[in-house]
Amino acid sequence: MSQPEAIVELSIPSRPEYVGVARLAILGVASRMRFSYDEVEDIRLAVGEACTSVLDRVEGQAEAPPIQIRCLIDPGKLTVEVTDCVAADAKATPGAAGGTHDDVQLGGVLIRILMDEVTADDNGGAGTHTIRMVKYVAR
Amino acid sequence: MNLRVETTTPRENVAVVALTGEVDVYTSPRLKQEIVDLLNQGLTRIVVDTTKVEYLDSTGLGVLIGGLKRARERDGDLRLICDSPRILRIFEITGLTKIFDIHRSEAEALEALK
Repeated sequence: MSQPEAIVELSIPSRPEYVGVARLAILGVASRMRFSYDEVEDIRLAVGEACTSVLDRVEGQAEAPPIQIRCLIDPGKLTVEVTDCVAADAKATPGAAGGTHDDVQLGGVLIRILMDEVTADDNGGAGTHTIRMVKYVAR
Repeated sequence: MNLRVETTTPRENVAVVALTGEVDVYTSPRLKQEIVDLLNQGLTRIVVDTTKVEYLDSTGLGVLIGGLKRARERDGDLRLICDSPRILRIFEITGLTKIFDIHRSEAEALEALK
């Protein structure tokens, strides 16, 4: 696999008030690439949903580990990896982030519709869970 | 990253909840509480105005779905005002345009509630 042209990394606390910070950062990264306005908004929403899905799995933990966001920038695509240290098989808890089972499902639906490729990885049982999302720059 | 919630009651039993800003995992509980409070006050016909909403995610959608369900349990209704193509698209791609009545203006929404 070739190295990306650039990498931007961000770590945010696993708290609802910081998901907006992640969205702002992604907005900055995507806006520098040749995405349309709508595509930038798609990426922002998808990354926000990925971060929110982590909060749903935190289950009100007092000291939940931070969420790591990694943007791999290539001329033709943006790959965003959202990684957390919540167990991959942890069930999303309704209400943990003020949401419901419906929210969790809607979030997953939105991510898959808004991004071109979406994969989830438990990183070989390393105790971390990564959602990897790719958006290709339209020719 | 903030949300302002302003509620007016242009007619008896009808509340218009105007939102400004972002509806996400951090701010959506405020909207949820507002809807719950209105229903508990007997205001069962609610119009949520999203014309000044800059961001809406699944938690916001979930609050609106929950509000619609609670309103209908009280023989009421919850309708939306949305004139942003971006926000409307979120309802479209999640299929929620089949669930919600969405209007382009407050006047149109209030007319439909007569």
